[in-house]
Amino acid sequence: MLAYTAKRLLTLIPTLLAASILVFLFVHLIPGDPAAILLGDTATPEEVAQLSAEMGFDRPLYVQYFIWLGNVLQGDLGTSIFFRQPVLSVIGSGAETSILLASMTMIWIILIGLPIGILSATKQGTWIDQITSSGAMLAASIPTFWLGLYLIMIFSVTLGWFPSSGFPSLSDHGGITNLRYLLLPSLTLAAPNAALIVRLVRASMLDVSREDHVRTARAKGLHPTRVAIKHIFRNALIAVAAAFGFTFAALISEAVVTETVFSLPGIGRLVVQSILRRDYPVIQGVILVIVVLYMVVNLAVDLAYARLDPRVSLK
Amino acid sequence: MNTLIFFQTAFAGRRLATLGFLWLVMITVAALAAPLIAPFDPLEIDPVGRLAEPGWPNLFGTDHFGRDTFSRAVYGARMTVIIGTGSVAVALLAGGLIGMISAYFTRLGHFLMRCVDVLMAFPALLMALALITLLERSVFNTILVIGIVYATTTARILYGMTLKLRGEVFVDAAVCSGAGHFSILFRHILPNLVSPLLVQASFIFAFAQLQAAALDFLGLGLPPEVPSWGNMLSEERIYVTRAPWLLIYPGMLIVLSVFSMNLVGDALRDSIDPRFKDDIAGV
Repeated sequence: MLAYTAKRLLTLIPTLLAASILVFLFVHLIPGDPAAILLGDTATPEEVAQLSAEMGFDRPLYVQYFIWLGNVLQGDLGTSIFFRQPVLSVIGSGAETSILLASMTMIWIILIGLPIGILSATKQGTWIDQITSSGAMLAASIPTFWLGLYLIMIFSVTLGWFPSSGFPSLSDHGGITNLRYLLLPSLTLAAPNAALIVRLVRASMLDVSREDHVRTARAKGLHPTRVAIKHIFRNALIAVAAAFGFTFAALISEAVVTETVFSLPGIGRLVVQSILRRDYPVIQGVILVIVVLYMVVNLAVDLAYARLDPRVSLK
Repeated sequence: MNTLIFFQTAFAGRRLATLGFLWLVMITVAALAAPLIAPFDPLEIDPVGRLAEPGWPNLFGTDHFGRDTFSRAVYGARMTVIIGTGSVAVALLAGGLIGMISAYFTRLGHFLMRCVDVLMAFPALLMALALITLLERSVFNTILVIGIVYATTTARILYGMTLKLRGEVFVDAAVCSGAGHFSILFRHILPNLVSPLLVQASFIFAFAQLQAAALDFLGLGLPPEVPSWGNMLSEERIYVTRAPWLLIYPGMLIVLSVFSMNLVGDALRDSIDPRFKDDIAGV
């Protein structure tokens, strides 16, 4: 296990470096003087010249990359053109909303996806299975923003049960009850992902149920529920755990849309607004942070997977 | 002929998937014959007839410019087919070539697949957004961006499948009979990958619709004047309480088309070579 962890950590480094080169090149792919791009249209020629000298934009590209990487490693991701603030603190201000939204969504995915998936697999071939698995596929086919708009229509505009947009911080007035602002967004975000988990739990439970140890468990007369939960579901969970890296990527992607629909002050909406404002340092910073986060999550998932299923690390 | 039998076995006894397939045929017909089906010009503005309710002659009502929603929906089918087939073509051509070549020329392949790994470190929509920042809003660029995003997964899948086939006896036989690299890759290996590629294509088509709609909604997809279902939703969303039909029809069209494509993909996947079944991740 230790050797496997070390190996996975070592392979992470080159991928991380390569990804950082791509993120670095992002600003250089935009036509024009990179210093002028990073400072925006309002910058004076003196400011442009000063940043150019600081970042070494007149020097070879690889030197510029190392200067940039050095800054990034010290937590300096540049300055936002729009906010006139360090990029890291701009991203930080959206972190609370995005992390809470992702956590609530994960809870929904587990609460909705796992039981329905188990039900679908244990009732394989019956009408319950047909309805749940077609229903899951239908849920995965709905554009998140469309679902979000209708949830707002029904629960905020017509019934008035939940707020339709925004999210005050938990430290603001209202405290923990402010989480009600995230209820509709997290349900919107959970719907397609819970649907994928339903399909996945069903498929991997059916796979496991064909294995010898399950036949033995049945043959020795164990109760079908006990077989389903202790012998099939527990083993099927390994494949489901492995898919959580993928779910995380989907969450990030769809959070961009969901945060825009519900006007949440999160990182997703920040990306969209920064693209529309041409605030390149922020776009670059967010991409970098998310890619690093995604890699770390994938590593954690892989290590958890190896722990759950020791056969993996022996390969 | 083989493909026909493949389709027949895939849809035998699957009513929902057959319905989905028929729906997609209808969408394609609507896309091809849009000028004949649409009763009005999708771009014609009529300030007097703004936000008219569904009825006659405006079957799906009119939008806030007084444009006929039904005609726009019919032309939207055209965009759906163009974006879908375009992204599938880009993804399969670029990703397929990279995957197959990587599995065949192992040393080059090792390098190429590491590059694919790096690209896969970028979540799909984020990568699309980063690419769109560098490009202008146009139909071609939307296709290109979505195609590139799915080319990475396609490369990974085709890499795995080609690797499995490389060890087969028929490939050894081809090598012994003096076939060149090109002939082995495209005449001997590729024909075996046609049905799994069809499955992969249908899932990419479905995902591409959702991604394109999301980009349109964010104002970063097709140019605003293009009548696509995503743009219709994006433009008319502020009228949701005043004119709910403006959101119902395009939204339902997207859901039905994506759902149909997923059903078709699922049905096809169940009837392909069992060796490749686990390689393709759909819904």
